Amino acid sequence: MFDFKPIRKKSPWILHYNAGSCNGCDIEILACLSPKYDIERFGVINTGNPKQSDVFLVTGPVTFRSRERLIELYTQMPEPKVVMAVGSCTCTGGVFRDMYNVEDGLDRYIPVDVYVPGCASSPELIIDGLVKALEILESKTKEIEKPFKLFRNETNKDGVVNRRNSALKVGEEIDDEEN
Amino acid sequence: MIEIILIALAPIIGGLIYGLERVVRARMQNRKGPPILQPFYDMLKLIDKQAFIVNPYHSILGIMHFVTLWVVVAFVILGQNLLYVVFLHLLSALFLIIAGFSVKSIYSHIGANRELQAMIAYEPILIMTAVGFYMINGSFDISIIRESSPLLLSLPLVFLAFLMIIPIKLKKSPFDATEAHQEIVGGVEIEYSGIFFEFLYMSKWLEYVFIYLLLILFAGNSQILGAVLSVGVFLLVNLVDNSTARIKMKHLIKIVLGIGLTLSMINLIGLSYV
Ligand code: SF4
Repeated sequence: MFDFKPIRKKSPWILHYNAGSCNGCDIEILACLSPKYDIERFGVINTGNPKQSDVFLVTGPVTFRSRERLIELYTQMPEPKVVMAVGSCTCTGGVFRDMYNVEDGLDRYIPVDVYVPGCASSPELIIDGLVKALEILESKTKEIEKPFKLFRNETNKDGVVNRRNSALKVGEEIDDEEN
Repeated sequence: MIEIILIALAPIIGGLIYGLERVVRARMQNRKGPPILQPFYDMLKLIDKQAFIVNPYHSILGIMHFVTLWVVVAFVILGQNLLYVVFLHLLSALFLIIAGFSVKSIYSHIGANRELQAMIAYEPILIMTAVGFYMINGSFDISIIRESSPLLLSLPLVFLAFLMIIPIKLKKSPFDATEAHQEIVGGVEIEYSGIFFEFLYMSKWLEYVFIYLLLILFAGNSQILGAVLSVGVFLLVNLVDNSTARIKMKHLIKIVLGIGLTLSMINLIGLSYV
């Protein structure tokens, strides 16, 4: 059988999600796509569509309101996929750490493969991280990885699935009666 | 024999054109750009990806879009009736539109809607082109059109109108509102994934082959003119793509139908008096 794994790293398509970042890192990611750094030479396309992408680039500290979309996007991406946390605040919370509306980092919700530090992280670092992520992508299986905090069942009202508040806040207990 | 080989290789030729185009576009923007074989890497990767099926009809219609488009290209290469080719091409676009409406995604609906509107814009011009060929040769057969002397000289305005619809079919600025990658995330493509998206991706390549084959018809039996036309238009389309912004659907229809249809009408009426 033809081995597709080496091909994977030749065409990484990116999905970029802003989970409440200050926009600093988003601009650096856009700078990567600009003529000077040109990550399109690695075959990168910024698709903006979770169903066709391989690399999930997340910026921002994951605010309380953005976490459901984050998990929704993550589960909509087909395997194999890698997740990159771009920026200090995505890795640990950074300058936003311990704020009341912030979840302190991406890895409390979804499994992260590459952490790119820096506030804002430079395009060179992002490219380095991307190359590292592609190595990891090559070794991934097609087994489905679950996001960590999608515990509460979705409510089903009038035949319409409602995923509002499906992700828990850090430290919150599941209320059994509610489910 | 050579026709059969060409038909079998049509998607691969289209892929090479697409790869070359990405390199040319990157060079125009002073970038290095991806390798020429990049579309094939994408294709192989997509085979390996997990595929989500939203509903079976949606996926099957995507495949049918690809198959009918391949049949269209085969008909053009074999030199069949041009009018059949235009209408069969319409059918392949219709499959995609029905697929777009068969899922719940709003982006998909908007994309399908815009695809329909774009069809209103480009279909009359394709038919006008066919009629122009008919008025000169007395036949819709592509094999007869290929034998005639260069048609560009007697159909200059129809050729201009045809140039206007190339960006619509190839999803290029300024007429790429049907796909609008940052705005409606690819329109009808949005719910396709894995191997099913691959068929849409490859039908994009076939679209290239189809458009450039029609373009070469304007050169008639002169092969040099055909080569010059296809290279010139290839560069021109990419230059325009790089230097213009996307325009709204409403303006697209107004511009293409207003200018394109008028130009080809004038040409055809003039032709009937000569
Ligand atoms: S790491 Fe710094 S620059 Fe980047 S999004 Fe967070 S706060 Fe903004």
